[in-house]
Amino acid sequence: MSRRMSWKSVTTEAKLLLIGIPLFLWTIIPVYHLFLFAISSKDSATSGRLWPKEPTLQNFSIVFHRQHFYLDHFWIQLWNSVLIAVSVAALTLFVATSAAFAISRLKVRGGRTVMNLALFTYFIPAAFLAVPMYKTMGNYGLLNSQWALILAMVTIASPYCIWVLKQASDKLPFELDEAARIDGASPLQLFRLVYLPLMVPSLVAVGTYALLLAWNEYLYAFLLLSNDTSITLAVALGNFLSADDSPWELLMATGLIYALPPAAIYYAFKRYMVGGLTAGAVKS
Amino acid sequence: MATVGFRNVQKTYGNKVKVLHGVSFDIQEGEFVVLVGPSGCGKSTLLRMLAGLEDITGGEIVIDGKVVNELESKDRDIAMVFQSYALYPHMTVGENMAFSLKLRKADAAFTSERVAKAAKILNLDQLLERHPRELSGGQRQRVAMGRAIVRDPKVFLFDEPLSNLDAKLRVAMRAEIKALHQRLKTTTVYVTHDQIEAMTMADRIVVMHDGIIEQIGTPLDLYDRPTNLFVAQFIGSPAMNVIEGTLRMPSNGAADTVVEAAGGARWPVPPQLGGRQGQAVHYGIRPGDIHIAPAGQGIAAKVIVVEPTGAETELLLQVGDAQIIVVIHGRTAALPDDTIHLAIDADKAHVFDSASGNRLG
Repeated sequence: MSRRMSWKSVTTEAKLLLIGIPLFLWTIIPVYHLFLFAISSKDSATSGRLWPKEPTLQNFSIVFHRQHFYLDHFWIQLWNSVLIAVSVAALTLFVATSAAFAISRLKVRGGRTVMNLALFTYFIPAAFLAVPMYKTMGNYGLLNSQWALILAMVTIASPYCIWVLKQASDKLPFELDEAARIDGASPLQLFRLVYLPLMVPSLVAVGTYALLLAWNEYLYAFLLLSNDTSITLAVALGNFLSADDSPWELLMATGLIYALPPAAIYYAFKRYMVGGLTAGAVKS
Repeated sequence: MATVGFRNVQKTYGNKVKVLHGVSFDIQEGEFVVLVGPSGCGKSTLLRMLAGLEDITGGEIVIDGKVVNELESKDRDIAMVFQSYALYPHMTVGENMAFSLKLRKADAAFTSERVAKAAKILNLDQLLERHPRELSGGQRQRVAMGRAIVRDPKVFLFDEPLSNLDAKLRVAMRAEIKALHQRLKTTTVYVTHDQIEAMTMADRIVVMHDGIIEQIGTPLDLYDRPTNLFVAQFIGSPAMNVIEGTLRMPSNGAADTVVEAAGGARWPVPPQLGGRQGQAVHYGIRPGDIHIAPAGQGIAAKVIVVEPTGAETELLLQVGDAQIIVVIHGRTAALPDDTIHLAIDADKAHVFDSASGNRLG
């Protein structure tokens, strides 16, 4: 009996490994290449070795000291990325939380329709909307302003965030609102003193989602911003490839640096992410 | 403290579903009124309308002489205890209780004094720093009551506050709520589907059914003189025995009027009953108003089940075509399949017209 049990657990383990190992390689190999390039000297970068002969941190030094033509505005562009990502997260949180509160708790008439319409925008791929968005921003005179990218990203992130937050707030017992109303809370006080504190895990999840979405965005950033000092680092990275002789090792070093903050943020908020983004996914 | 009045209060959901068909009654200052009825009878809706959580479709609700139909909950000066407690999970017990005063921008010293006083009344002094998740069900219920007391409102509203507690705790909390009311004397409206809660706690009971009031009265009024079959069967535990039969009046209105049931049993009725010869009636008699008679006298019954509970014994009996329950004090030697004889307290019998369900006499 115990032999069979252990046989069964071995096969379970084997099946998990069978799925796990390819998945792990699939994820890690590109990252490993990124890392490999970043610590190789220019000459050995494309040698095809699995570990460079003489690993070096020289590339990072070049990036941080902006010792290359493509890296002239490295710090400004990194700051742009931070500024835009944080602004998008903050604005999206404001829009999505207000909307979710109005739809789910205040039961505003037509709220569900608005949410469904917002979600409906996801039927059209974001890339198709890029040109209309460009034209719209042009009409508002926002082209080449970072507001254009911030507003565009908020537009793209909001429907999903509203939906996630609405599902999460539907789970809060409605008696809490009624108790607060009887206790004398106005809708704004209810929002601030009861709703927000209870929604923190979901807010962290949604905020992180919006932040990472904006941080990683390339297409819209590329379209809406053109000035070297106003583009994000993601766009700047793309510009590395505009020459025949691209400095791959610097591109990868910069890319690695650019990938670290999201990884750190994700790691810090991991416990909120998994719970928060799946909250309300299943009707309980 | 305040009076509460309902004047022809109606509630319709959408345009079709009518849940309250014009309810009118008054609550005196300091009175403990229990709204009781089966689920879906409209009692919770009525309470929520009084609380300002539901719109009033028609009629008026009056608190202390003032029509409150258009007033927000917070302006009605009421406090409510919910079935699910509805404590704010992110606040401590103390913060939960202080919340309403904080919203009213009350002075901090005043607030903490009121919270301390309420906590003392409810034995929560030691728990003020805890969060609701760290409390037992009974403690949470007490915090919910504390939150209501701190406000010192005109009216307390309770919406099935004991339904989430286990049976033993429910009995204890029942006594606690009643003691609290005797101490504070705040006008209280209490909703429950449990008639025992209603009987034990209320000054007056309002029995509701299908959106109308069936009867209003003191617990013993309702027990002794139910005005219709519904109230008769709803109030009392074990429930009243109800037997279908026909009124037999040998010499119109004479003292030997009986209800003759299918199977031939003849049940004695109270004097001055009224009614007419041959009228189809439901005959009601409470399990405690039937006694065992010496052999050969009274109504013969066959024992089906004997259930001793110590102080009392419950007997399930077959009389003619009907099965009835009899509760006798003490014990009995009766065994299943024995035949025993029953004496009825005719004064305590109830007779209802079968067609209308209304009480005769």
